[in-house]
Amino acid sequence: MKNKKIYQLLTIAFMVFSSSINAQDLLDKLNEEFPDKPVYEIATFKTTRIGLGHSIETRKKGALEISLYNRYWNIPNFEGQRFLADVVSTRYGLDYSFSDNFTFGLGYTNHDKITDGFVKYKLLKQRADSRKAYVSIALLQTFSHRKFETTDGGIYEPVTTSSNNYAFTSQVLVARKINSELSLQITPTFIHRKANPLNDDANNQFAVGFGGRHKIGGHASIVSEYFYVANPLESVETYNAFMVGVNWELSHLLLQFQVTNARNFVEDTFITQTTNNFNAKDGNFHFGFNATFVLHTKKKKIK
Amino acid sequence: MNKLFPLFFLLISFADFDVKQSQFIARQGQVSFFSYTSVENIEAKNNQVLSLLDIDKKEIAISMLMRAFVFKKDLMYEHFNESYIESDMYPKANFIGKIIDFDASNKETQTRIVRGKLTIHGITKEIEIKTAIENTKGNYSISGDFDISIKDFQIKVPPILSSNIAKTISIKFTFQYQPYEE
Repeated sequence: MKNKKIYQLLTIAFMVFSSSINAQDLLDKLNEEFPDKPVYEIATFKTTRIGLGHSIETRKKGALEISLYNRYWNIPNFEGQRFLADVVSTRYGLDYSFSDNFTFGLGYTNHDKITDGFVKYKLLKQRADSRKAYVSIALLQTFSHRKFETTDGGIYEPVTTSSNNYAFTSQVLVARKINSELSLQITPTFIHRKANPLNDDANNQFAVGFGGRHKIGGHASIVSEYFYVANPLESVETYNAFMVGVNWELSHLLLQFQVTNARNFVEDTFITQTTNNFNAKDGNFHFGFNATFVLHTKKKKIK
Repeated sequence: MNKLFPLFFLLISFADFDVKQSQFIARQGQVSFFSYTSVENIEAKNNQVLSLLDIDKKEIAISMLMRAFVFKKDLMYEHFNESYIESDMYPKANFIGKIIDFDASNKETQTRIVRGKLTIHGITKEIEIKTAIENTKGNYSISGDFDISIKDFQIKVPPILSSNIAKTISIKFTFQYQPYEE
């Protein structure tokens, strides 16, 4: 008798259960049907440079970045009347992405007369849906070339000798998109330079870069960067490079406005050879304006 | 007899499950949208849209991941997800609605109105969409197009870029359904 009751109860329970499955919302059912595909974070930084240095971002295959980086500053007690600022330094750059993860770039800075190039490889992409890939990692190797001309000898027999100076910078860029607004990056840096016989500066220097961005709208963000040098140059007094600025994107054009104490554009120079501190004095205050145009040479086909 | 009665019920409820196919699923539904302006044409397509069709209740549900849209230019993809649709906050777009006067047994193409709720960018709007429903050998396919206003879904376009993005976006969709097995 008791058994029978349980039997009947179970049957009713089953019927209620099965009918509740039928009545389940169609949308809930659909949401369970989504395939498990990895979701990667996009736009940890929207630009391939945070401001001074590189960010973990690489452009997708076939993207050509045409960039113009400008730095303006004044010469203390300068007598002349130049337009806008006493000195303008410009880096003309071209970056091409051979694949989604690999970029090659070249640049020339007119004020420093430095030619530079880099290769950048994106090693790891941060996952949005799991904790497996907690950060994004990119590797950067740059090289720069600077030609020095020195004149020796007497007035009657001047001998101009030129020496080539090469420097190499290796960086491991590690960044995490904390939330949709905030991204942080830490950049261990190794810089190698050919020995200079005139001073006892180290050939190898170590530095760490810290960078971050905070979105202030759909198209604009505040960015900041700081580079700490572990073994600074001894022949000249140098300061750590600092930058704070605004990145703004206008469809294919990316604009960066910044205030900084760094004068140079190439990694090995601005990280280790910034000879002034960050303040508003003439000669120390640098205004930066970077414009980057992204050209898609390969367009995806929409099938 | 009293003992057999629940067993009988049980059998019927099982049989009910097996025989009657009332739900159909589309796993590779296609949704594309177009923004035509004099400055720039933007086009994107999503080939992984999910949809369920319940022919008994005459209901249809659609769900898609915004990140699955493919654009011609990669920067468009980034801006779409990051700045306009904000796909990290609102990863999906949904639709749930009823097909008015739907006749599941009709073998000819029927044009019907689907009335329901469309959710994009976290905003839900009531809409009516004209669709063409085909029934080929028991498998259904639904297609159609409609326009939405980006203002309705609070998608903000900065004034400086307002000439690049159309005020109304036209959307096209096609779904091929197969019997749904749970």
